[in-house]
Amino acid sequence: MSHTKLYTIVFGVLFVFATVQALVETVGLLESNYWLAFGIIMVLSVIKALLVAGYYQHLRWEPRSVSYLAGGGLLVALALTAAAAYSIV
Amino acid sequence: MSHDHEHGLPPKSSVSRWFLTTNHKDIGVLYLITALFFLVFGGVLALLFRLELISSGADLLGSMGYNQAVSTHGLLMVFWFISPFAFGFANYVVPLQIGADDLAFPRLNALSYWLYLFSGILMGVSFFQGTTFAGGWTMYAPLNTPAYIPGEGLGATSVVLALIMFTAAVTLGSVNFLTTMYRMRAENLRMRDIPIFSLSINLTVWMMLFAFAALLAALMILASDHILGTTYFQYSIDGTTMPTDADNPGASLLWAHLFWFFGHPEVYIVFFPALGVMAECFQTFTGRRLVGRKWFIISMVLVALQSFVVWMHHMFLTGINLPIKTIFMATTIGISLPFDLMVFSLIYTMAKGRVRFTTPFLFSLGALILFIIGGITGVFLGAIVLDYQFRGTYWVVAHFHYVMVAGATALFGGLYYWYPKITGKMYNETLGKIQFGVYFLGFNLLYFPMFIAWETPRRVFVYPDGLQIWHSMATVGGFILGASFLLMFYNLFVSLWRGEDVGPNPWEYATSAEWAVSSPPSLENFPGVPSYATGKLEFLDEETVAERTESIPGAAAHGHAATDGGTATDGGAVTARAAATATAMESTHEVSGEEHASHASFWPFLVSLGGFIAFLGLSGVRTGSVFYLTMAAVGGVATLGSLVGMTREPFHAPEMAIAERWPFERVEKMKLGMWTFLASDIVLFGAFIGSYAFIRFSYGWEAWHELIPAAHVTFPGLVNTYLLLASSFAVVLAMVAAERESKWGVLASLGATFALGIGFLINKGIEWIHLFNLHGSAAFPEGWGITTNLASSTFYLTTGLHAAHVIIGLVIVAYMAVRTWGGAYMGNEKPIEYFGLYWHLVDIVWLFLFPLFYIL
Repeated sequence: MSHTKLYTIVFGVLFVFATVQALVETVGLLESNYWLAFGIIMVLSVIKALLVAGYYQHLRWEPRSVSYLAGGGLLVALALTAAAAYSIV
Repeated sequence: MSHDHEHGLPPKSSVSRWFLTTNHKDIGVLYLITALFFLVFGGVLALLFRLELISSGADLLGSMGYNQAVSTHGLLMVFWFISPFAFGFANYVVPLQIGADDLAFPRLNALSYWLYLFSGILMGVSFFQGTTFAGGWTMYAPLNTPAYIPGEGLGATSVVLALIMFTAAVTLGSVNFLTTMYRMRAENLRMRDIPIFSLSINLTVWMMLFAFAALLAALMILASDHILGTTYFQYSIDGTTMPTDADNPGASLLWAHLFWFFGHPEVYIVFFPALGVMAECFQTFTGRRLVGRKWFIISMVLVALQSFVVWMHHMFLTGINLPIKTIFMATTIGISLPFDLMVFSLIYTMAKGRVRFTTPFLFSLGALILFIIGGITGVFLGAIVLDYQFRGTYWVVAHFHYVMVAGATALFGGLYYWYPKITGKMYNETLGKIQFGVYFLGFNLLYFPMFIAWETPRRVFVYPDGLQIWHSMATVGGFILGASFLLMFYNLFVSLWRGEDVGPNPWEYATSAEWAVSSPPSLENFPGVPSYATGKLEFLDEETVAERTESIPGAAAHGHAATDGGTATDGGAVTARAAATATAMESTHEVSGEEHASHASFWPFLVSLGGFIAFLGLSGVRTGSVFYLTMAAVGGVATLGSLVGMTREPFHAPEMAIAERWPFERVEKMKLGMWTFLASDIVLFGAFIGSYAFIRFSYGWEAWHELIPAAHVTFPGLVNTYLLLASSFAVVLAMVAAERESKWGVLASLGATFALGIGFLINKGIEWIHLFNLHGSAAFPEGWGITTNLASSTFYLTTGLHAAHVIIGLVIVAYMAVRTWGGAYMGNEKPIEYFGLYWHLVDIVWLFLFPLFYIL
């Protein structure tokens, strides 16, 4: 069984989101409201990453334990970054 | 014993076997011997500086000699001795304990070993490059960046590169052990039921997988500061004036965070295997199952998790804020609680059982006593106010030697414990006990006076005169401790010939599975497929396995297995049954002539040799010397060539027909291995991105823009995002085409992936060249190069690491395209799927690099 159609739709969404991220800068949102623009752009990146992981790496159809494994790595990296940054606030 | 079953491996008496072998038991032995060599190496360095410290001042080694001896002693003992020594046992024992015939990826296991050995040789070579690393084993920044290293500093660079090589070995090993333990356990053997040593190794490799990935990031960045001239850990030096930290306020803290994020889990990575050995020996020599086994395991899991949230207690005297110090003081004191539980469990096991004071038990008990002292003195350091006083003194030195060397003590117990299993001979018990006595005396005479002389500053060769008596005692203790090893080496060496032959189980109450097979075990380990379906260890013959796999796969009986610390009768029964089945199986093997697992490959050695040459070359490329440049080039080509050779070599490592695989039943071996590797890669990239975020945050997040030229625009990044997304899509299409057995479909899709990847690199190349040469830019008249400023350093290094991943991916795509041409993958899309997992991760990383480095 293949999901060719689904893969194509996902590709389309990824393409559009990347373009929107660049557009956020082009329309000058970074200058007028940096942190709002930052939020929009990062949320879009997170959604794109989840789409690639969920469909292209087909984590959606794998046992949940595989997602936990990858999520563990992510958690470790985030803990390091967040705590290190907080330590010099 | 016949050698008919050695499957192309020369006999153990032949030197070539040890270069070819991929068998876990051989590799375990190689690890043990190599680690003991590094123990002697690091130990002799320690004796040298203990001699120096007989009196205050550096009159024996000289100041630089002293600094080198202290620094490399620490690095050698922590990295090249303790963990590899423990992993000698892990290699030998874990597959036997869980019922596997080898590790999941035998050649990768050999590769881990050879990378480890060659990384150690590189470490040794660094002594001959002027001076070796001299800045303390914690490698603090900016002290260990080239600007602060006297002379050329090539030896220091070599050590950093040696550590990178070592970390690569550890990462491969972690992936291998995790895949093995989750895919190759004997039927009905639940994770919680595996013997306690194997369980301790399981938790150790989990910590390794993540902690060493963070270390790898730190080391790669440091190597880049050394070789490429990036400025992550450097302050600027403008000729005559003193360096200033104004341009890089995060430099030294960034190193401390990265290093200790690895460094604290590392303490437990070192100690957990020792804990596992202690628990095994306590069980065997008291004849009792570990009291509160369940709570012992829960405590270990808790420590493994908590180990990642205590690292800043190493940074109480840095500029981090008080709230975060307080949080980390709490987590640190908190982590001592599960350890208390484990200590009580061991003591209570002793109290409930009947102790037999054999050598392995004495070492285990000694380790427990030493660890209690080391643990309690460590709690002092975990309290912020006390740490203000103790930091940087011999209190710290004494404390961590009581912890780390306590771990080593237990491991020496393990050496005596498994010596009969590995060699088939019994060591001399009296001599073993005498060694323990000398060892324990030497240990305490060496380290205890350091608590009393705690006001001695750490890493410094001058101390107040009044403390000389304590330092002299310590030096005498050091030599006694060293001498005890001569007894051990003599005992173990002579016993190889004179020792009594032992049967499968020389210890009366030892019941884990390694004691159910002959000493040493056969190449295949077991006389059939191990199974705990009935609650006890049995070996299924080929007929049963064939019947079972034809019917319902994975159907297992209920009830659970007692694998360790049971009663003596279990072991006896198992042994008898094993012997019976062994005879039966040997005859069926000969008749059926089935396809056997492979056990020999020369490529892991060659890959590592190539890596060694390449890294030695890299250590000196910044001098522009022809010798170093040639070495780097030759080594690089040799590594790549050997990797291709290794990939092309037919090597058969079958999955077990019947096995317990929770929680990865539906994730086949290769896929699980790939995902485990990717998890560590996520941490590697995470730590790179985290470093960028930390540096930018400490500089001023938005002020950062002043470091970036106007010519650095979004567009090239957006184009590359499109290219990479499209290439990911193409890989997915290749997988679909392979499923449909369309050769041209696969070729077209892989071709598209390749073209898009090349396009990505070309676009990046054009962009970089443009930024390097910003003609007419007022702000950056010299162009925006790697060394220009913090923003350029982080940009080029992070996206460069990503580009390196793309290049590796493209080499694999090219290889797969050639194989597709030859007819591979039709109806077997799995290899393309595994590659895709990697490629998509590279894609995902870019999805974050793009906004962080191009838009924000």
